[in-house]
Parts: sequence; C-alpha cells; structure tokens
Amino acid sequence: MTAIDRDTNWPEISFEERIGTAEFRIHERAHIVVDGDTCRGCSTRECVVACPANLFVPTSDGGILFNYENCFECGTCYLVCNKEGAISWSYPEGGFGIVFHRT
Amino acid sequence: MTVVACLKWVIPRVDDDDRFAGISAADQSALEFALLSARPGEDVVAVSAGPLGAERALRDAVACGLSRAIRIDLDPRASSSAVASSIASAVAGARLVWCGDYSLDRGTGSMPGFLAARLGIGQALGLIDVTIGDDSMSVVRRLDGARREIMRVTGPAVLSVEGSTARLRRASLRGVLAADNAIIDVIAGMSSPIDAVDEKPYRPRARALAAPSGTSALDRVRSLTDAGTATQRSETVVLDPPEAAARIVGALRDWGYLG
Amino acid sequence: MNRPDANDADVIVVGAGPAGSCAAIAAARAGRRVILIERGPFPGSKNMYGGVVYPRILDELVPRWWETAPVQRWVVRRSTMILSETGALSVDYRSNAWGQPPYNGATAYRPDFDEWLSRQAVAAGAQLVTSTTVTGLLRDASGRVVGVRTDRPDGDLTASVVIACDGVNSFLAKEAGLYSATDPSNFTLGVKETLALPKHVIDERFGVRDDQGVDIEILGGTSGVNGGGFVYTNLDTIALGVVLKLPKLAAQKKRPEEIIATLKAHPAIAPLIEGAEVKEYSAHVIPEAGYSMMPTMVTDGMVVAGDAAALCLAAGIWLEGVNFAMASGMCAGEAAAAAVARNDVSAKGLAPYTDKLNATFVLRDHKKLRKVPGLVLSDRVQQRYPAFVTSVVERVFRVDNPQPKPGLRRIVRQERKRAGIKLSELIRDGWTGLRGFG
Repeated sequence: MTAIDRDTNWPEISFEERIGTAEFRIHERAHIVVDGDTCRGCSTRECVVACPANLFVPTSDGGILFNYENCFECGTCYLVCNKEGAISWSYPEGGFGIVFHRT
Repeated sequence: MTVVACLKWVIPRVDDDDRFAGISAADQSALEFALLSARPGEDVVAVSAGPLGAERALRDAVACGLSRAIRIDLDPRASSSAVASSIASAVAGARLVWCGDYSLDRGTGSMPGFLAARLGIGQALGLIDVTIGDDSMSVVRRLDGARREIMRVTGPAVLSVEGSTARLRRASLRGVLAADNAIIDVIAGMSSPIDAVDEKPYRPRARALAAPSGTSALDRVRSLTDAGTATQRSETVVLDPPEAAARIVGALRDWGYLG
Repeated sequence: MNRPDANDADVIVVGAGPAGSCAAIAAARAGRRVILIERGPFPGSKNMYGGVVYPRILDELVPRWWETAPVQRWVVRRSTMILSETGALSVDYRSNAWGQPPYNGATAYRPDFDEWLSRQAVAAGAQLVTSTTVTGLLRDASGRVVGVRTDRPDGDLTASVVIACDGVNSFLAKEAGLYSATDPSNFTLGVKETLALPKHVIDERFGVRDDQGVDIEILGGTSGVNGGGFVYTNLDTIALGVVLKLPKLAAQKKRPEEIIATLKAHPAIAPLIEGAEVKEYSAHVIPEAGYSMMPTMVTDGMVVAGDAAALCLAAGIWLEGVNFAMASGMCAGEAAAAAVARNDVSAKGLAPYTDKLNATFVLRDHKKLRKVPGLVLSDRVQQRYPAFVTSVVERVFRVDNPQPKPGLRRIVRQERKRAGIKLSELIRDGWTGLRGFG
C-alpha cells in the first residue's frame, strides 16, 4: 500500500482494516471459481490489479490463488478477464455475501 | 407432545437497526435440532421473547417447517430469569426445548438453566454434539480442560447447543411465501422472582495501595513489582531425566493438578 | 400457453432495487399479483452508488415522498472540480431553493433508500421475498419466459411476465440473449469510502447547515486511470470515491484503493476529510457507456429495467442512475400489468414498455447525450485537458509583477502546446461536447 503523502501525513489504513469495515456473511460454497490451468498461461493478470477486494493473489508457480469470502459481488474480475472461462462467477446463495450499511 | 426451539432476536452491532438483526448460529442450530428431533405427529414450536421485529425471525423459522410460532412481548433488556418464566408458561409440557448456548448480545448463557428449573425438567447445556436416536439422544458437553462429558437424554429436557453443531436447513420457496401470512401468536411477557435491575460492563474496582518504600525511583518500582527478588514459586533443580519426570509429576500432584 | 391464473403470480420482479421496487409498485397498483424477489437479506443490502439520488420521478408513485424517504441531506451546492497534480478549478453553484420541497437531489444511503422504497411496494400489495437468489429463467417450448428458478428448495416460480431488475451484471438479460456481447470498456468500477466526521465539522468545511448537502464531481485526480471522482456529504459521513474505466484500471497496474488514497491526499481534497475515519469501504460496477451498450429491452414474457438495461447516465456533469432505474421500473411495471390484462405478453404485447422509455427522459436523455460518456472518458479529456485548463487558469490569476499581464489568447496557445493538444483536436472535442450536451 502506497499512499502518496503530498499534503498531509494521511494515516492510511491497512487493506485488512479497510476490508474489515464491510460486513460479509460467508457461505460455505464458493461463488467464484478460478481455473488454475488457464491462469498459468496468463501474463496480464487483470483480476489481480482490478479486484477492489483484492481477492486474487498470484502464486510463485504462475497460478492464481483466490478467495471468495470478502467479495463485493461487483463483477469486475470476470469483466476484465481476457481468458475465456478462466473465472466462473455467480451470486452467492440468497441472504449471504456482502451486506452494505452506509453505501 | 411438542418440541420447542427458543430463538433470540439480536441486533449484533450497536449502531444498527432491525434490518441487520437475526438469530445467532447457535439458535439456528437449536431450530434445526428441534425440527430433527420431533417424532411423527409431534408439534414443533418456535418461541421468541422480544419486540415486534422478532416476528421476522419467527416467520423465517415457520418457513423451515414449524407447526406454530409464538412471540412473547417482552422488553429486549428483560432478564434471563424473566425470559425463562415467560417461555416456561408458554411451552409447559414440552418434551424437548432447544436453545442456543448463549445469546449474541448479553451472552450469560443462563436462560436455558432458568428455563429447565421453571419447567421442572432436566437440562443438558453447552452441547457440542448431538446424535438423535429412536428412543434417546446421545449428547456431548464441553467441560473445562478440554474434557468432554457424554450424556444420554431419555426424558423431557432443556438442551442448549453451540453454533457449530448443526446447519439450519434452507427454507423452501413455497415455505417462505406461505410464512408471509402465517399467524404468529403473541402473548404478554411475565415478570420473574429474580430480575436484573441493571447491566453494565465489568470494571475492576480500584484498590488502594500503600506508597512504596525506597529512596530512589528504582527501589520504589522494585518494591511495587517484586522485580529482581526471589520468589518461592520457582525452583531450579538439576536431575536425570527419569528423576526429573518423577519430580514434576510429584509436584503437580502436590499442587492438586493431578487426581 | 399456461392459463394465467394457474401461475404463482402475474408478474415476477427480480431484484428489489429502485427499478424493481418501482416496477412492483406500478404493477401491484394496476391490480396484478406481484412477487418481488431480492437476493440480499433486505432490499438495498447489495446496493452501492456514489451517493446522490434525484427522486422527483417518485411524485407520481409515492406522493409527498420527501416526507418519509430516508434522506441524509438535500443537495444545495453542486461543484464540478477539475484537478491537476496540485491545482484545482471548481465551478460551484448554490441554490438554497433546492433545500425546499419539491427539492432536487438528495444524498441517501442505498440500504436505507432501497429498503424504504421496497416497503412502498409491499404497501401497494406486492409480496417481497428476501434472501433468495434467482439462478435462471423458466421457458416454455417456444422459448417464451414463463418464470424464474431460485436457489431455494422447491424454488421455481411461474408468472406471465418477468421483469428483470437484477442489476449491472444481469445474468437474466444475458441468459435471455438480450445483450449481444459484454465489452469491459462499457463498464467502470466505482469504489468509495464512507468517512465518518461529526456533523458540525462537515457543516463548517462544506459551508452548509442543518440538512443541506454538497455534491462535488471531480475530473482528474484518478492517478492517470480514465474515470472521475466524487465527494458527497451525508449527515455525519462523507462519501468519497472514484469511478474507474475497467480496461484502463487493469492496464495501469494501480489498485483501486491506492487511487482513492491519492485522491484523498490531493491538496484540494485532504482538508475536507482530515481526521475522518473510514466507516465502510465498498465497490460496485457501473454500466457507463449509456445508449451504445443498451440491450434489447423486451422479449417474449420478459422486460429489462434499471442497471440491468444499462440505464445509467454518466455524462460528465450529470451522474444519474437511480432516477433512470425508478422511471424505467415504473414504465416496465405499467407495461407488464397492461400486457397481462390484454392477455398478450409476447414481445409485441410488451412493446409499449420501449415506447414509454422512448417518450420520456429515460431514453431521450440517453439518446441526446449518447456521445458524451465516450468523450468524457476519452484519453484527451482524461489525461491532457485537466492539466491544460488548470494551468491556463493558474496563469490568468497569477500576478507576476513587475511583469505585465499576458494576453489570454497567448496563454491558451502556450498551455495548449505544452499539454500536447492540437488545435484541431480541441475544436473537434469542443464541437462534440457542444453538440453532445445539446
């Protein structure tokens, strides 16, 4: 995390603190599934940069580690992904997932 | 006969409202066990002591396949004893009463015990595993020191379960649609012989300490903290491994840690 | 064709956001049996936006809506701000009349506003089902949509018409084949922070009092990623966020929260939010491209409304979505109810929906402004114009005595060249803008 302190010493919060401000009701079934083989052939890794919840992490062997628990259900990952079928994405079971409070 | 699930409607965060409220994972487990443990022909009844908002939790429960739902109109701050008295009067004669082990807000876990006393039936509380048989149930209770107690339940009892013990079934869509029009019985709450007058966070009482002796600051800190002075609680011995083991076991026995 | 009265409902509305609830209100008021399905634990719990809603469209559906709607503040100040690296140029308009009925814009939290609107639908007679995700469409042998499948056991529901208000990702519109293809450059990602500050501090910093609010739209300040920013005042929080064009965000290798952090540190923004605590971080995708990305709105047995139909206006100085959702939902509900009454729910029978959209601001605004979203998100407007405009203004206002004041034409020419903008491009963009904004 690099906040550019140009004017003030802004106390940036860690990503864990940031994501901790949102409420997620986690279901045991993953609503995002990533096809590891397809991702190994991907060099651009759009999902890693764009996912606002930072759910996609590159692994040293060239794959992608993902989690679904803290997902905003926005759809950015599958929209930016340029590999057909690499990310299967659906909504979590009704009543589960992100619950916004003051948005 | 009836099987009862007691559900507590809780708003988990202080600055939230009814929209974010619900029942705890423990209460969901209790509801699932109530549905599972009912014998053919037995009624399954859900009870919640709380405000109007609690009826949403009861409707959700009805959607899962209940026979009846009762809301006891009671201040959410009512004591565990008052809640137990009210529930006992509403479900007298029940064969099994399932509860979550403790609520998300107050969390004393005392309501199920009060309830068993008021109903005059047995209790098995804080269960971490439940196996339902034809005539009896085998249940496991968590004890201190990682020990477990296995019990058999054959007669009427209040049982409280931890949240991880069962996953509540998903209500069918037909059930959800029908539950919208379900009638929730509302009865007035009762007072109880024991009532909580006030509730506040625990705060250790201030204790007066005599001024420490010593001329320098360092000495005064030492006398306050016992730092650097030998205590009688530790002892260093040099022994062979077998002797050392025997010594440790002996010490533990002397101190009462081994039976 | 099924006998309509054998269906579970006349109309199923998928999604209890602003489009879905208005569709349900309109259809229920017309006497139809309506089931409104929401996947969140309550309506609004999945919904996030910048922060300003323009509810005048509700005059018809919910008379005197302003007396009960859960509004944070009424917008009486609107600013458009252009940010360069260190400078800021604002056009700021204030009208206290906007703080009086019938009002103009309002800041509101979507979990509050959408839940309130869904209660109007229930009051109108619709049945609301929450915590239920629609997973697909039911179709008959001819391909006509005859209901929905949900993720609950025994979860199929039949209806004469399905109104898909299932949001920007609309799996239902895609399943029905109403979108030709999904192009990521049609979408932006909105991320925001809800920042807590005491009410009196917000009042002082933004020059408002009581329930008056401020709406600031920002061009520039998004770390070189095409998009924009916003700052809106709630009662005791500030909504601050950025909207980022998806392919550019992925290509620029900058994370969304870093872009927010950079905007927060800008000298024109930092003093507004100093000392604020992040209360909630959130994100949502926006169908940004407007008219050019819209799907076919109608098929046999189904219509699409709101974000699901890409009815979101992102035209620089105008950023509106909830009002388009509410209006399109209302038209969809009315058209569906009429089609059920006439017993013709084919695409032809539902066509009055599209006619209504064409006749009202919903599609007229989009058609008129169809070139604007592209222009606003274009590289020149995003990367070069903010620096050009702010440096022109900077030199106009800078007093360089004993140097005499330079001529404005010369400043513009010099700064235009410095920013690398050709005169022909400037004229063309200006003309597109003039024509685009009508």
